[in-house]
Amino acid sequence: MKSGKLRGSGIRRITSKPEFSSFLMLVIMLVLTAVLQKNFFETKSIMRNINAFAPLILVAMGQAVVILSGGLDLSSGSALSLLTCVLTFVMKKNDPASGVYAIIIAFLVAILLGVINGFGTGYLRIPPVIATFATSFIWLGIALFLRPTPGGESVWWFGVFYDFNALKDVSGFFGTVGAFLPPALVLILAGCLLWFMVSKTRTGRYIYAVGGNNDSAYESGIKTAKVQILAYVINSMYIFLAALFFVGQTGSGDARMGDPLTLRSIAAAVVGGVALAGGRGNVYFALVGALILSLVNKIIFFADIPYAYQTLVGGAIVIIAIAGSQAYITASTRTKEIKIG
Amino acid sequence: MSLQKSFQAASANSFFVKYKKLIIAALLILFLFLLGEVTVSNFLSIGQILLTIKLSSFIALFGLCQMIVIAAGGGGLDLSVGYTATATAVLTASMMDGKNENLWIALLVALGIGLLVGAANGLLTAYVKLPPLVVTMAMSQIIQGGINVYTAGKNITGKPSPVLQIIAARTSGPIPNIMFLLIALTVIVMVFLYKTRLGALLFGVGANPVAAHLSGVDVKKIRSISYVVSGVLASLIGLLLLGNMGLAFKDMGSNYVMPSIAAAVVGGVPLTGGDGNYLGVVLGAIFLQTLTNLLVALGWGDAGKWTGFGIVLFLLLIVYVSNRRKR
Repeated sequence: MKSGKLRGSGIRRITSKPEFSSFLMLVIMLVLTAVLQKNFFETKSIMRNINAFAPLILVAMGQAVVILSGGLDLSSGSALSLLTCVLTFVMKKNDPASGVYAIIIAFLVAILLGVINGFGTGYLRIPPVIATFATSFIWLGIALFLRPTPGGESVWWFGVFYDFNALKDVSGFFGTVGAFLPPALVLILAGCLLWFMVSKTRTGRYIYAVGGNNDSAYESGIKTAKVQILAYVINSMYIFLAALFFVGQTGSGDARMGDPLTLRSIAAAVVGGVALAGGRGNVYFALVGALILSLVNKIIFFADIPYAYQTLVGGAIVIIAIAGSQAYITASTRTKEIKIG
Repeated sequence: MSLQKSFQAASANSFFVKYKKLIIAALLILFLFLLGEVTVSNFLSIGQILLTIKLSSFIALFGLCQMIVIAAGGGGLDLSVGYTATATAVLTASMMDGKNENLWIALLVALGIGLLVGAANGLLTAYVKLPPLVVTMAMSQIIQGGINVYTAGKNITGKPSPVLQIIAARTSGPIPNIMFLLIALTVIVMVFLYKTRLGALLFGVGANPVAAHLSGVDVKKIRSISYVVSGVLASLIGLLLLGNMGLAFKDMGSNYVMPSIAAAVVGGVPLTGGDGNYLGVVLGAIFLQTLTNLLVALGWGDAGKWTGFGIVLFLLLIVYVSNRRKR
């Protein structure tokens, strides 16, 4: 409304963007956390935070790709669990080369999971909510088959996905890098690079087109099913990166560890400003949203809120965050639409 | 004359089309029972069938919440039903303390919780236009958080009133009492949805919100009401759940949420809204429960159970939901 007059000026142009509210929220959260946590800016504590936030960030970025294409992935948590089980199933502690096989096999499995989800929602046109709900049970079942109880073994060098110091005996270089660079950050940057490359291609534009309006995209000659399958496969890549991190951190697989991440990743994407209806938003927004949600947890922890209240406050903040960004979008856009539900 | 004939043929055809999903669901249940009888001994028996119906009744009840919210359209879904039920059960267990004369307080509390949760969901989704999936998910978290706060540092005490236990847990002869409730509810819901104005409004709003809006229907209001109804129903189901279990615990309702959505979909409710048949949802719930029973009876363990459940559900969806043009 007000933005119309001053659309040309720099500040207005930035503040009128819908994602501005989530970036603003991120800044507020960062300031709050920095105030509450005394050593927030120390290298060690930054590294620890990045490690703690990495799985949600990676899964949320993948989730965002799927949401942008008009889908939804309720199986991403189980897929993550399954991949950790696959990795630790293939690896043998005494055989360093088995780590390489494990990575290759897990990568292929990740692609397969994405293809199955994409085939169901894209080609067979099953609603994504229910299709990925069904596949989540298949992933869970296979994961339980590979690893009925949490555990397993990994090769000695796999810790490099959690801490570069794992390789410091091989070369002093890793020890130096490991002092300030967490591998989680590298994985997240790899995730950003992946989306950067995809968004420059035709596929990237098609993902938006299909998510915005599947039927018109189909009418204009886009192979929508193929695009949706690709979106789910890209999502799988992010989940694969998260699985590498997890196995690097714990050295074990767990068929149920990913479950809480599924709904949190959807919430993170929406809080970041990705429209759940598809076609609007950006994968980087999901990164911002995941950071906001993770920082909220930290703030609740450091603000001495009693443990019993933490779930309550966390849920309330999700609603406030999406309501805030929604209100901001409504106020800053001037689109005319019939006012219905 | 020929015109009349073709009309008759068309109506007979539309009868089959209209009830196609119900017939398929019923056949699938029959198939599962036969498969169970072949692979596991004593699977197809009256006792087993009645037990399956009893176990599936709660999925079917929560399925009603889902169906109403889904039918109103706008991507409606209610992930908070299981948590609302838990909250009611936990709160009212100590109030009833196993006495019938306290049941009315429990009913009032249940009504209050349901109204509160439903109204919050409805306002946030219909008026603030937030995505139902995320809103009801966050609402679940808030309710679970509330339960955590309420139960922090103490045990959940209390028992359901005997009336609730009789309705939810006992049997009359071989027949579980909750089956009568389910049958009565199915009839009431079918009459309400297909014979009253409000039912027509619900489906109309879901099928074509723009047309409904242009003909003077308050789309937002109807959608909000659907969430309020879902919340109140979920809360009352919480009382029954308490009656069935005999005691309240922290996550007694949360395991029913996704199965209730699956039951609605298997029962032929399109997730886009505007249609739905509660009898189908009940059959969908029975199907899912029969499938679970069969997989448990086969003794493949957790891994086999969940893999089988997922694969059968996925295959079912392929032949069932994807009846639109493939791409």
